[in-house]
Amino acid sequence: MGIVILLLMLAGVGLMLARKLPTAFALVLLGVAIAAVSGAPLTGKDSIVDTVLQEGSVTLAATMLAVLIGSWLGKLMEETGIAGTLVRKIVEFGGDRPTVVALGVLAVSALIGTVTGSAPAAMMAGIIGIPAMIAVGVPKTTAAGTILMGIAAGMPFELPVWQFFSTALDLPVDTVRGFMLKLFPFAAAFAVLFVLVESRRRGVAHTWSLTSADERPSGGARRRSRARRLGDAPWYALLAPAVPLVLALGFELAIIPSMLAGVLYALATTTRPREMNKRLLRTLYAAFEVAAPPIALFVAIGILLAAVKLPGAVEALDPLVKAVSPANPFVFVLVFTVLAPLCLYRGPLNVYGLGAGIAGVLISAGIYPATAVLGLTASYNQVFGVADPTSTQTVWAAQYSGVSPQQVMVRTLPYVWCVALGGLCVTAATRL
Amino acid sequence: MTAAVTGPPSLRNGLSAARSGALRETCARLAEADDAEFGVRLLGNTPTHEARGPEELERWAEAATAFGTELAARAGPHGGAGRTGARVVERDGGLDALLLARYVSRPVPTVELYTDTLALGEELAGWLGWRTWFAAGALRGAALAHEEAHCLLHGDAALRRALRDRLGHSALRLGRLRIPGHVAGADELAAHAYAAARCGLGRTPLLLTAALASAVRALGED
Ligand SMILES: [Zn+2]
Repeated sequence: MGIVILLLMLAGVGLMLARKLPTAFALVLLGVAIAAVSGAPLTGKDSIVDTVLQEGSVTLAATMLAVLIGSWLGKLMEETGIAGTLVRKIVEFGGDRPTVVALGVLAVSALIGTVTGSAPAAMMAGIIGIPAMIAVGVPKTTAAGTILMGIAAGMPFELPVWQFFSTALDLPVDTVRGFMLKLFPFAAAFAVLFVLVESRRRGVAHTWSLTSADERPSGGARRRSRARRLGDAPWYALLAPAVPLVLALGFELAIIPSMLAGVLYALATTTRPREMNKRLLRTLYAAFEVAAPPIALFVAIGILLAAVKLPGAVEALDPLVKAVSPANPFVFVLVFTVLAPLCLYRGPLNVYGLGAGIAGVLISAGIYPATAVLGLTASYNQVFGVADPTSTQTVWAAQYSGVSPQQVMVRTLPYVWCVALGGLCVTAATRL
Repeated sequence: MTAAVTGPPSLRNGLSAARSGALRETCARLAEADDAEFGVRLLGNTPTHEARGPEELERWAEAATAFGTELAARAGPHGGAGRTGARVVERDGGLDALLLARYVSRPVPTVELYTDTLALGEELAGWLGWRTWFAAGALRGAALAHEEAHCLLHGDAALRRALRDRLGHSALRLGRLRIPGHVAGADELAAHAYAAARCGLGRTPLLLTAALASAVRALGED
C-alpha cells in the first residue's frame, strides 16, 4: 500500500512538472487520492470529507492570515513610497560604488522579505532596485541574484513562514524562532558573500542603450506624476518593515498582532488622518490579490498534510520511509545535502508542495523529531526560495533584469546550497 | 528579427514609402530638440529620478555634460580605448538587444561594439542628411570614446568624486553636516559629452541614439 502512495506522489510530481496541473490543484487531488487508497472512510472520524477536506483545508488558516497581512503591509509600503524611498536613498549614498549599492539593495530586500512573501517582496524591492543597480553598473544576473539572495537572507525572519512551520509541524513558535535564529547567520553570510564574490568576478557593466534617450509620453509621464505626488516618505516611515520583526523577535509578541502593528505604523507615519480609512481599505483589498496564490497553496498543503497524517497512510508509509531515512547525523547531513536540488523545478522535496507532505510523513511516522524536520524543511526553503527557476520570484526577478531564470539558478545555487548545508549541520548537531 | 536570412536591415529597401516618410518626420522633430533636452530625458529615464522636477534634472544634465566635455579636453587629442588598456571586441545582435556598445570591467576591461547597430547608425546619419553633425565613421569613434569615459571613471575614485561634487546633490543634510549624494545616470551623460567632444560631433550622440531607436522600431514594424 505504501508503494501505491509513493506512485501517487510520483504521478503528482509529474503533473506539476509537466504543468498539466497547478501545484495547488495537484496537491488537493493527491491528498484525496492518498486518503482513498489508505482506506479512509468517506465521512466521520479520520475520513476523506470531514478530516482531509474540512479540517485539512483550514489547518493553515493562521498562516494564510499572516500572508494576507504581510501583503497588506507590502501594498501600503509600495503606495506610500516607503519601498521606493529606501532604494533611492541607497543609490544616493553608495551610487558610485556598485558593490555598496548592491549590498544596500540586499539589505532592503532582506528587510522587505521579513514581512511579505517572497514573490511580492521581490517585486517591491526589485521594481526600482533592479534597474537602479543596473544603472550604476551592476551586471544583470548579479542584480537579479542580489534581490533573491536578499529575500532569502530575510526569510528566516519571515513571520508568515514561522506561522507556517509552527502549524504544519505542530511546533511552538518559540521553537521555530530558535532554529531560525541559528539559520539566519548562514543565510546572511552567504548572501553578502554572493554580492562580494560576484561583484569581484563580474565587475561592472555599462551599456549604451538605444532607448536611453527615449521620450516616454504615456507610461513614463503617468509613473512620473504618480511618483511626484507621493514624493519621498519621511525617514521614520522607512522603519515600517522592521516594526513587526522587532515586536515578534524582540518582544516575543504573537505574529498576527506584530504584523498588524507594522500596518498601523506605516499608515500613521505616511498618511493624513482623513485619508487613512480609504487607504487602508484600498491596500487591504489589493493585498487579497497579491496573497491569492500562496493562500490557495496553503489550503492545498493543509489538505495534503491531513491526508498523510491519517492512520492508514502512516501505517502504510512507515516501513518504507524508515528504510530510506538515515539516522546517523553525518549520513543525515550528507544525504539531505545531496538531495537538496530535488526541491527545485516543483520537485518532490519542495516545501511548498509535496515536500510538506513528506515532512508530515517523517513526523507522523516518528522517524525524526519534529524539530529535525523543521531544520530540514527550513534549510530546503532557503534553496527553493532563491534558485528554483519555476518559482514566481525567481522568474520575475530574472525576466525583469533581462536574463533567464536558469542563469539566475546557476549563479545562485552554489551559495544557497551552502546555506542548506549549514542549516542541516545545525539540525544534525542539535536535534538528532 | 530575420536579419540572418534577409541580410542586415536597411533603410533604403527595408521601409515602405509611408513608413520612411514617418521616420524622417520623427527624426526631424528629434533634431529640433536641443542637446540639453536629451540630457534631461536620459536622466528622467534613469531609475530613482521618477519624482524629480525638470529644473533639478536640467541642472544636473548641464553639470554632467560640462564635466564630460572638460574631461575630454584634459585627455588631449591622442587616445582611444587603447589608452585605457581596454580590449575592443566587435559583435552582432545589437539591434535585437537595442544596444550600441557595452563596457564590462571583468574578466578583463572590454569594450564591445555592436557592429549591426553601428552600421545602421552610419546609414541613418547619411540618410537623414546629418553628416555635418555625425561625420562618416564618427559613430564608431564616439562609441569607443564613450566606453573609454566609463573606463576612466571606473578606475579613478577621485574622478568620480569630482563628478559628484560638480553635481552638488546632497543625500543627507543635518545642520552643517552634508553628505554628497550620487546622481544615477550622470556618468552616462558625462560619457556622452566626453565622446561628443573627443570626436568633434556637432550634436549630442543621444540625438543619433534616439533616431536609431525610432529607426529600429520602424524597421521592426515593416
Ligand atoms: Zn554608457
